[in-house]
Amino acid sequence: MASANTATSTPALSFPRPIFAAISPHSFLQAHLSNPTAPNKAFRANGRSAHEFRTPGIKTGALTHCHGSAVVRVGNTSVVCGVRGEILRAEDIADPPSSTPDTGNEVHEDGGDDELDSLRLLVPNLELNTGSTPSNIPGSAPSSTAQTLITRIRSLLLSTRILRARDLRIVYTPPPATPDEVPDRQVKAYWTLYVDIMFISLDGNAFDSAWLAVLAALRDTRLPKAFFDQEMETILCSDIPSEAAPLKLRGCPVASTFAVFDGWKDGDATEGTEDWVLSDPDAFEEGVCQESVCVVVDCVGGRGSGQEQIRRIEKSGGGVVGREEMRGLVKRSVDRWTICEGVLKGVGSA
Amino acid sequence: MNSDRRRINAPAGGTSAPVFARTLKEPGHLQSLRPLRARAPDELRNIFVQTGVVPSASGSAYLEVPSAPSSVAASSLIPPSSSLKISCSVQGPKPLPRSAPFSPSLLLTTTIKFAPFASRTRRGYIRDSVERDLGVHLETALRGVIIGERWPKSGVEVIVTVIEGDEDAWWGEGITGANGAGNGSRWGLLNVLAGCITVSSAAIADAGIDCVDLVSGGVAAMVRNPRDKGGVIRVLDPCPSEHEEILAGCVVGYLAARDEVTEVWMKGDLGSSLEELVEGATHAAVGSLSVLKEVLLESVEGKLKGQAGGLQRRTTQQDVEMVG
Repeated sequence: MASANTATSTPALSFPRPIFAAISPHSFLQAHLSNPTAPNKAFRANGRSAHEFRTPGIKTGALTHCHGSAVVRVGNTSVVCGVRGEILRAEDIADPPSSTPDTGNEVHEDGGDDELDSLRLLVPNLELNTGSTPSNIPGSAPSSTAQTLITRIRSLLLSTRILRARDLRIVYTPPPATPDEVPDRQVKAYWTLYVDIMFISLDGNAFDSAWLAVLAALRDTRLPKAFFDQEMETILCSDIPSEAAPLKLRGCPVASTFAVFDGWKDGDATEGTEDWVLSDPDAFEEGVCQESVCVVVDCVGGRGSGQEQIRRIEKSGGGVVGREEMRGLVKRSVDRWTICEGVLKGVGSA
Repeated sequence: MNSDRRRINAPAGGTSAPVFARTLKEPGHLQSLRPLRARAPDELRNIFVQTGVVPSASGSAYLEVPSAPSSVAASSLIPPSSSLKISCSVQGPKPLPRSAPFSPSLLLTTTIKFAPFASRTRRGYIRDSVERDLGVHLETALRGVIIGERWPKSGVEVIVTVIEGDEDAWWGEGITGANGAGNGSRWGLLNVLAGCITVSSAAIADAGIDCVDLVSGGVAAMVRNPRDKGGVIRVLDPCPSEHEEILAGCVVGYLAARDEVTEVWMKGDLGSSLEELVEGATHAAVGSLSVLKEVLLESVEGKLKGQAGGLQRRTTQQDVEMVG
């Protein structure tokens, strides 16, 4: 045992790694990150470098009862997301939208998505209490963490305008009474998308993996062709697979979360404080870090292809990341986007 | 409609699952899609078990009964039959809170929750009576196996998430009830419970909790023989959507080495075939046990190799020194 020998020869105290990590997580991580011999080769406790993300793995279409589903594994975090469409009839809506913006032409393609929010056609929900971590035990109401997560996911779904309301409308054109009459298109019903996210295992960075799972499941979603049947006066669907249509998503926003680790001042003024911005923190690092930044970028679907767009920045818990650091983080997020986009590319193209 | 302020709620008007036109307009359409049992009466479906899926838990396992490849699947969006997918994580044993009264043995808590997308009708996030009932059945099955006296004053949580469950009958039969198959007897629950017993057994073994034996679950059912009308045959590991009429079903938690049964749950009109049914279920349990044993052996071998590798790595990896 090499470590035992060094412990006797030098007065420094040496612990096995798990014990060191448990009793003093902050200095454990700092000891890892500040490698005085080779500063460029410093690694985190999980063996990644500060800028390194975990590689995502995605499998779609595994769930029978969903219109779209995805299983995402990011390191030790695994998430199952299922998208299920149900029909909301127009007569069940208490306060229907006044206009019917679906005129069928492309001019209105970018407008008229208010229904998604006002009619609550998107119902995302998330469950952490599946024994995914030792503290997430079922039987309790959703924790504030879970509520925050799902609110963030819902607002990101709406603010990125990733879904088009026209994909969710079920339009009926009645046969014209006279040959000259212009048919009056009516929105008879809407698809409501239930997006359910179950965490099987959680090891940090719940938001990124949940969002990736939602994105993959939405890309995998194929809604059956629905129509208003005049004879039965109800909405029916066709069960022919070739008539089912995928959702046309706007762009591909990918979230990247960073955690800021404040190095301790060693007391001597020469060294000062040192901070590390860690990409894709795991559960241990999340417990140590106070400040966190979440950047959502998209490099397609914008004005020009290949042009990166920042769709959202969320930052909380401290003041280390300033304007210059943020520039670097956006760059790292764009690199992350390329990787995730490559993994997502295979999804939904079939 | 009750609203849950901690979750995102559905539109207030309520939504309905899509209805396929051909199921209403062409009477024989659904029957033409019905999967048929291609297995012999005592042949089981393949199962896939993996341990260690939740690294932060003390023990965990995942079980899947892959759905048989079907030719009709490509011609319709109506899913032929679902495949059972269950994940289980074991948290503990850990000390009970100070406020809890003294317990001389391990306190076992079992929770079964279906995911919202686990079945044909969407399920809620709050546990319903069916899930609570299944949880009690699972607890009975596991309690007889764990040697609880070795952990006084501690508790263990067995948390089972059903990602996808077996259906109760073929499509539409729950509504029509024409031939008695969909008379509200939830046959799919038997398969779910058997899967839950098997997967929790694997997770408990993965957690290293002392047990007298490995428990495993098995199902048998009495069904009308499609070839000879009126005849009744016993099938192991029934898939409810494959059978037009299930007369009785039984699930057991079975300890093969001791030849003991910790849990029996029987449903339906049994007649005089009780012993035959229980015996069939134990045969099915022995089948899943053989998979379980192999998987656990593999995971133990993997762990031992990992430990040996870890020792070697430790000598090369520099120990981090504690400063300050």
